[in-house]
Amino acid sequence: MKKSLDLRGLTCPEPVLRTKQLIDDATVTCIEVLVDDEVNVQNLSRLAGSQNLSILKEQAENHFKVVLERGNQEQSHQHVQTKSAVKAKSNLENSTGTVIFISRDTFGEGDHSERAHDFSAHLLNLFLQTICQSGHEPRAILMVNGGVKLMDPDGPYIKVLNDLRDKGIEVLACGLCLDFYGLKEKVQVEQVTNMFAICEYLFSADRIISP
Amino acid sequence: MTTNDFIQHSNNDSNQGSSEKVGEKNAEAIERVGSEIEQPSGEKRLTSNVKAGGCAAKLSATELKQILAGLPKSKNPNLLTGIDNFEDAAVYKLSDDLAIIESVDFFPPLVDDPYLYGQIAACNALSDIYAMGGKPIMALAIFAFPTCDYPLSVASEILRGGADQVARADALLTGGHSIQSPETVYGLSVTGLIHPDEVLTNSGARAGDKIIMTKALGTGVSLLALKAALLSQAEQGQLFSALTTLNDRTLEVARTVDIHACTDVTGFGLIGHIHEMAKGSKLAARMNVSALRFLSSVLNFAKQGLVPAGAYSNRKSFEASVSYIKDLPLEVSDLLYDPQTSGGLLFAVAEPDSQRVLRSLADAGIEATDIGQFIEGIPGHIDVVIN
Repeated sequence: MKKSLDLRGLTCPEPVLRTKQLIDDATVTCIEVLVDDEVNVQNLSRLAGSQNLSILKEQAENHFKVVLERGNQEQSHQHVQTKSAVKAKSNLENSTGTVIFISRDTFGEGDHSERAHDFSAHLLNLFLQTICQSGHEPRAILMVNGGVKLMDPDGPYIKVLNDLRDKGIEVLACGLCLDFYGLKEKVQVEQVTNMFAICEYLFSADRIISP
Repeated sequence: MTTNDFIQHSNNDSNQGSSEKVGEKNAEAIERVGSEIEQPSGEKRLTSNVKAGGCAAKLSATELKQILAGLPKSKNPNLLTGIDNFEDAAVYKLSDDLAIIESVDFFPPLVDDPYLYGQIAACNALSDIYAMGGKPIMALAIFAFPTCDYPLSVASEILRGGADQVARADALLTGGHSIQSPETVYGLSVTGLIHPDEVLTNSGARAGDKIIMTKALGTGVSLLALKAALLSQAEQGQLFSALTTLNDRTLEVARTVDIHACTDVTGFGLIGHIHEMAKGSKLAARMNVSALRFLSSVLNFAKQGLVPAGAYSNRKSFEASVSYIKDLPLEVSDLLYDPQTSGGLLFAVAEPDSQRVLRSLADAGIEATDIGQFIEGIPGHIDVVIN
């Protein structure tokens, strides 16, 4: 059964409470809610997450429409919830996914000729572009030592690094290293990190890839 | 589809603690319901037309910065605090061994019990003096009250709660100012004293200092759960005790070691206040989420969508300065931004002193935790880690 609620004009916590009441009614499979405040939309998203419901959000002229829907497998509801709880817990304790650790501006090493260096640099660019296009989502790309040269805003890597950042991947460079290579002034502060954070990323990673 | 098609005609919406009805024919009706919440006794609830109570009612940091940007900045050699660092109070040096601390704080009701509301608002206002390291001596009440909506006994109870709290702080309530207003507002302007050399600003932290925090986190979320009538008796007890406990004793014990910087955790949330302290001290910080203590059940409430608007605006104001080294469950990060009312003290001490002060605080029955450290780095940046 589908139900609709017009909760415009109500402020937190009312919209969450009223929606929760309908969620508790097992005969209701889909709930359409109108609210006029983005805070309520975000709180309904959290509610949906905790109840394992799918959620669709739509912005109208001066209000929001939020649709919450139960999954098809009513049976597995409880199970899935437990599983996600376990996942959240293990997140708290260890995993950080994949971290890419770049300590030089080449992908592997060639034969020390300048030609080989250019080729190795080109390979590194290709590597990053492939990550970007293939849908892999590492948690962070960390650059240290010669690797920080990738952050040069006039260099060939800046585009792919920006693309990766747009995907929500943290792209960070060691502050000391940027300073050493004379790039510190050219890089935005929020992209600069420190040895402590680098250590934390590395030690908590599930997997480290260092080209 | 018209608006009316969405409306649920229900009278099965009766919810514990909120006796208003929903399911009127149009949105205006629902809006009206929102302002007509009545208690079973027929008396209007104190929080009924309050949108955001306590420090959740604060203007966001982003808004405040914008508003203050164009204002002239007071400068005087005797003025020991500036407006730039978002200090808790202003300190003016009167002589070589005496400075005066001035602060003002007020907000709309966040609980329905008027006496409790008065106590909380006063406790929150007094806290700013302790956050500067001082001792409150005198307070004036600020009071706006809708005399048409509530009996005068409600007003008396609010003021009595405030007065009792001021007395508990060993200060004098010496007067105040009141106006008629559609919305209730109560708070204090507090005057305190301090030796000019002992002022604790939020900008004196040094690299390597430990960050100590007292009181559990989560009053914003918990107050929202209270409004939703979801708090058990025990949870209410824990919340009210946190909201009405003065930081006087905490400061006294903490002062047995050398405190480099201090503030209280209030409207900007834990992250916001660590950020301001780090920025003021030109340092970065790292915070260990595993060390934090939360009020009972607040993580669960946040997970279900009981997150106050102030937490979202704090996230917006401060998240650019935060690196999460590992994924945090959303409800945990929500709590880091949760606006606190009458929160604990947050202070920086040298590492060797931290163990000593934690022990002394524990001996005095005050819960305190080492939640991280100030480090060299980008000023104001916070690395959030989990051990």
